[in-house]
Order: sequence, then structure tokens, then C-alpha cells
Amino acid sequence: MFAFTIRRLIQMVVVLWAVSVIVFLMMTFTGDPVFMVVPIDATQGEIDQARRILGLDRPMIVQYGIFLSGLLQGDFGLSYVFRQPAFDLILERLPATMEMVVVAMVIATVLAIPLGVYAGANPGKPLSRLIMSGSLLGVSLPGFWVGMMLIWVLAVEFRIFPSSGRGDIGTVLGVETSLATASGWHHIILPAFTLSVGTLAILLRMTRAGMMEVTRQDYMKFARAKGVSRRGVLYGHGLRNALIPVVTIFGLQLGDLIAFATITETIFAWPGMGKLLIDSIYRADRPVIVVYLMLVALIFVVINFMIDVLYTFIDPRITVK
Amino acid sequence: MTLHTTMRRLLTTATFAIALPFATLADAKDITIGLTSDPTILDPQAGEELSSNIMFYHIYDPLVRRDGDLKFGPGLAESWSLKDEKTWVFKLRAGVKFHNGETLKASDVVFTIDRLKASVMSNLSANIASATAIDDLTVEIATPGPYAALPNDLAAILILNEAYVKSVGDTELGLKPMGTGPYMLKEWVKEDHLTLEAFGDYFGGKAKIDTVVFRPITNPATRTAALLTGELDVVQDLAVRDVERAKAEPGITVLTRPSLLNILLAMDVREKSPTIALDKNPMTDRRVREAIARAIDVATIDKVVMNGLATASSQFVPESHVGYVEGADFHAMYPFDVARAKELMAEAGYADGFTMTLDATNNRYVNDAQIAQALTSMLAQIGIELKLNMMPKSNFWGYIRTPSENSSFIMSGWDVPSGDAGSMYNALYYSREKKPGYGEVNRTSYSNPDLDALLDKADSTANMEERDAHLQEATKLLLADIPMVPVHYEQDIYASHDGVTFTPRIDKFIWAYEMDVSE
Repeated sequence: MFAFTIRRLIQMVVVLWAVSVIVFLMMTFTGDPVFMVVPIDATQGEIDQARRILGLDRPMIVQYGIFLSGLLQGDFGLSYVFRQPAFDLILERLPATMEMVVVAMVIATVLAIPLGVYAGANPGKPLSRLIMSGSLLGVSLPGFWVGMMLIWVLAVEFRIFPSSGRGDIGTVLGVETSLATASGWHHIILPAFTLSVGTLAILLRMTRAGMMEVTRQDYMKFARAKGVSRRGVLYGHGLRNALIPVVTIFGLQLGDLIAFATITETIFAWPGMGKLLIDSIYRADRPVIVVYLMLVALIFVVINFMIDVLYTFIDPRITVK
Repeated sequence: MTLHTTMRRLLTTATFAIALPFATLADAKDITIGLTSDPTILDPQAGEELSSNIMFYHIYDPLVRRDGDLKFGPGLAESWSLKDEKTWVFKLRAGVKFHNGETLKASDVVFTIDRLKASVMSNLSANIASATAIDDLTVEIATPGPYAALPNDLAAILILNEAYVKSVGDTELGLKPMGTGPYMLKEWVKEDHLTLEAFGDYFGGKAKIDTVVFRPITNPATRTAALLTGELDVVQDLAVRDVERAKAEPGITVLTRPSLLNILLAMDVREKSPTIALDKNPMTDRRVREAIARAIDVATIDKVVMNGLATASSQFVPESHVGYVEGADFHAMYPFDVARAKELMAEAGYADGFTMTLDATNNRYVNDAQIAQALTSMLAQIGIELKLNMMPKSNFWGYIRTPSENSSFIMSGWDVPSGDAGSMYNALYYSREKKPGYGEVNRTSYSNPDLDALLDKADSTANMEERDAHLQEATKLLLADIPMVPVHYEQDIYASHDGVTFTPRIDKFIWAYEMDVSE
């Protein structure tokens, strides 16, 4: 376990370094950030001055060196556009994204597992067919369409939910979150549901596939014959053995939703960090993009690490090496 | 009554039942305005995009105030006069308070200008040589040469508090602005809302609306939805496709106003042009430039591509500007006429046309990519094969940067919020590399000694009438010589709920101080 952790840490450093290099190289092709800052009728002198202020007057390799040495001291650099530390910009938007993703993952899991187990255990029943067609819809409908439809029907026509924004923010254990207020919950339901649709459908289909595989196994019949209740067999023996691929997908989806909730955030004007990434790409704001993508890489590495550890609990035959 | 409407009525009643007690309790007026994006930074010397600018003018004041129709009047300065050709004397209002209670002093103005000169926005102070405080309420501002439009330029310079800026530092200033403006920053939750509160001691009298909330909603459809649900009182940039929907809703008014942004087609006039394979660049011939102007059907572009929400530009600057020539209209001088355009091409010796590339953005102007495509088919009519080279704005400005080594034909926009054609002409049409600070953005490499002489004359008088006369001559010359084709001004579209008093400004800077809401 210890060696495993160390190896993963080394991997992580390599991944983060690779991301920073790739982003730096990429950004040389996406336009000169100076022109995003100065007015279009700026003179050469004014442009040079802005370039100096932003630190863009040095060669690329020197800029990268400055970035790396700053990084080692915990300084991620200033955004060109916001003129604020890039890391702070991301950090102050992180809670909004996290709370939406958590609620979305809870919605997805709570609905997907029972529905998937049911559909897997009763493949022929009409309700199972309905669930499966529904999940197909969930996989194929684009998130922005689902979001817009929810806004038009539930916010504009019926006025049940607000159309956008995060609502009031409260503090729980020192973290500012909208989950601490009624207005916050009122605001989060539509975006979180929109975000959950795709994941819900995928988890459901994975669970069903796993269950269909497992229900054919002899130990299932044996357990049932032994007198275990149907429910106990399905969840205790069946689901547990079907869960490994589901957990893998869960981890990947979790990372994906945190990193790229951009579309949902844009549609619901949710003040999360995904929107920051898109805006920064448009503005060629390299410091923000680098830090953002490094953070995303970190999140993926950590989640995958946790998933690997989780395997050993689900299936004791698996050990991490 | 259908189930649907019953349900809706029930819900509306329920909402009213909840909302009413609060409404009667609250005397304070508030308004919620939906913007297209969150301000990036609240330091007026660190950015210039629209959302930030809107906040700057609520929190800070300039010496000279520009109104919604581009008329200039006293701001923090109550009067100004010329001491000599190059020196202006500005008298500040007495007793103007900053939000922290300090009184505005001439030294704050000097500090502001000095700081601006060292910032990324130094462009705003290009025509200021120096500023000196004479006494607490008098500032002398020197220009490098005689410059009649200085007061207009000062409308874009917002006055900071020296002591405050020095104590909080640059980074902090961008988050916690403090000025003399009619509103104070109360709360800024990034990307969610920014709340302003009326400043009780504002020198022009307290604002009518006590609390202003700005909400950044990037997605146009969501902005419309939030307007329809009543979450927003006013929206900026209502999507063209939602105009009919919003108009149909009772209690909502749609407002449009032509913007200052003139879409221009720049034609390279160098002997050899980068994307034209011929030995001689056809566009050096004025007849070819006229043919291009006549082949472009602006009325159709505005009707089909812009859904009627654009105004054909008659000149290079709008009517409100110094240098505008009453009655002159580019599109009346060179009306859409393919037959005549073909004749001109033949006369110039290019009856078979030629091929060149149009550089355009695809995310900067309203329907920019579609306009570029329309131009392709229009110019094909006179044998000019346009290749499209479209890119996002982050790449564009660097790509077309003068000396424009990659470009023959460029579509871009230009606006002059200072209300004076001079700065635009000096930057775009003055001969390149002849005089420092002039012709810096001359993308067409246009060079005409007569024009240069007129612009020199305009810039060597401190008298506004004389300047206007010279600039009008320059406009006439440019209209005749066609270095660029002016296409149209985009229209800004807003929507507001009834009960909101709101007149869109031509510079797009929504300003709550001149707005009101009924109780």
C-alpha cells in the first residue's frame, strides 16, 4: 500500500509537469494575450509597455522557467485579465462547482443503482424496457438542450424554479455553500439535475449490464436456494459483484463533471470554475488555463487513486500493488 | 381555461401572496440588471471590457462627463479653459467626497494621470504630456501639441484616491474599488452578482435607485428566461431571435439603439499585397476600390444577416462626432450596382477579376462569420474570389497587427467613444511611419499627403470649430478616396420591465444613476 501510494505520487508529479508543458506549448498558438488587454488602437510603445507589465516580453522558455520557480514557492502567477492570482480565481469558484457536482452525483447514483438493479434482474418486464429507453434518451440528449428545456418549462412557464444563479450562500464548517440555505437548494436543483442526466444514464446502463451478467451465476441461485431473500441476493450478492465497473465509471464521471461542468454552468449562470476556463481560453489568459488544467489533472489522479483503493473494499481479492 | 394556464395562475397567485408583504415593507428602490459577462477587474486602469467599464462609471467619476448621446459636460471639473495652446486649466468642484469621506483634491487627479501613464491602459493618456496641481482645486494639464479634444479624452479617465490606492495596493484595488461615484461596491460574488449601493454624499445628489444588482448571464437564452420570469428588470444584449418573444410578453419593452461600432472593410493599397498573386495589387487603383464598394449590398446584409438590427454606416464616424459631414453618405455615393462595378473593374483592367483573402473574426461582432460569407458571394459577382480566413478574436488582433504582413482585405470594427474622428483618422489613415504616434494601426498602408496635412492642421489647433472644419475636410477626402468600406453599425438591443425608466446610451455603458424604477 505504501509503495503504491509513493508510485502514484511520482506519477502525479509527472502528469502535472506534462500538463504544464503542453499548455505552455499550446498557448503559443492561441494568440497573443497582449492584444486582449490593450485597446485595438494602441501604439507599439503602449503594447510594449503592456507586454512588460504582464511579463510577456521574455522568451517563452524563460517565462516557463519563471512559472516553474514560482510554482515551487506556491505562486501560480497572476491572470493577465483579472490581474489577480490565478489560483485564487479558481479556488473562489471551486465550491460552487463542487456543490453542483456532488448534488448531481447523488441524484445520479440514487436513481441509477436501484433502477439498474431492477432492469438487470427483470430484463423482460415492461417497466425495465421503459427504464432502458429512458436511459438511452439520457445518454443521447445533449446537456444544453436538457438545461434549456428545464428552464423554459419549469422556470418560465410554471415558475417553480428560478432560471439561473446560485441563490443565497451560507457557511457550513467554514465553507461557503449554497447548500446551507433554502434559496440555494431551490437554485441548485435544475442545474444539478441537468448535469446528472448523462451520468445517471451511463451508471444505470453499467449497473444493468453487470446485474444481467451476475444473475446468471451459480452462487446467486445457491444463495436464493439457501433461503436468502430476493432483495438480499440482488443487493448483497448481485450488486456487490456487479459494482467494480460501475465504480470505475463513477470515478471517471466525477472527475469529468468537476472539470468540465462548463456547459451547465454557462446555461444556468452558475458561478463555477468551468466558465472561468472557457472565458480564459477566449482571452488567451495562460496563467489561469495552466493552473486550471493542472488542478483538473490532480483531481483525476486523486479520484483514480481513491477508486483503486475502493476496489479492495468491494472485492477483497483485489490488492493494490 | 386549460390545465396549463390554471396551474400558472395558481402559481402566480402564490408568488404574489408571498411577495406582497415584502413589497409593502420595502421603501428602498432596487433593480436587477442582467449583463452578458462579469466584470473582470474593478481597477479602471487595468481593463477596458464593457462589463468592467459599466462598474467603473458607477463607482468612479471622470473630470468631464459624457452623456448617453455623447455630449460632453462638467464632471468632477466644474469648468476648464485654455491657458495657452498646449495647457488646459481644470477647476475642480469643491467639497466632492470619496466613499470613505475624504475630499477630492487636485493631487488625486495628478496621481491618477501619472498612474495611468504607467499602466496597460496608457493609451487613454496618449494626448497628455503632464498634469500639475496648482492648488487644491486647480489642475493644469499639458498636451504634447495643441489638442482641442482633450476634454473628450478626459471623459474616459476616472479619478482615483491617491491615499487609498497607495494603502491597499494594485491587486486589492481591483477587488475593492473606492471612488467619488454615485454608487459604492457592496458585494461582489464573482460570476454570480455584483451589488452596488447608492452613495449618500454624492456631489450630484443621491441616486434614485438605492440598490443595483448586476448579474452576469452569458447564455443569451437564459438571460431572456430570467427577464421573462421577472428575476431581471433589465437585460443587456437581448438575443435577436428572442426579440419577438419578449415583445409579445405583456409588461416588457424592447429597446434598440445603434451602437458606435462601425464595421469596416480595409483594402490594402500596397503595390504588392500578401494574398494577391498578381504582380501589382489591383486595389491600388481607386476604380477597383469603388467597384468593391458598389458590389457590396449593405441593405441586404442588414436585412438578411442582421435581421434588420443594424444601421448602414454613412461615414467612418457617426453623426454625433466631430468631423462628421452633414448630408454625406457613402452608400448614396456608391450605391449597390453590380453592372457599374463590373464596368469599373473592366476599366481598371481587371475584367476577369482576381483572388484574395478576407481576414475576419468569428466571435467578436454580431454575425461576423455570416457577414464574411455574404461578402464572398457578393464580390464573386464582379469576379473577385474571396477566400475566407476566419479566426477567434484572441488570434485576430495579433494576426492583422500593422504592418499587416499577412493581410489584403480585413473586416474589423472601430468605435470612437471620445466623439472625435481625429483619433480614428490619425490611427487608421495617417501615413505610416511618418510621425510617431500616427498611422500606428494603418492596416491598409493608405498614404495621402493631403490627408496627412489636414490631420496635422486639426491637431495643431486648440479651437474645436477649426478642428471640426479640418476633420470634415478629411472625411470628405476619405469618402472620395475609399481606403475602407464602412458597412454598418450594429444595434444594441435591451429589454426592460415596465416601470423601469431606462434609455440606452450610445456608448453602451448602462448607468443606474440616470435610471429610475416606479414603486
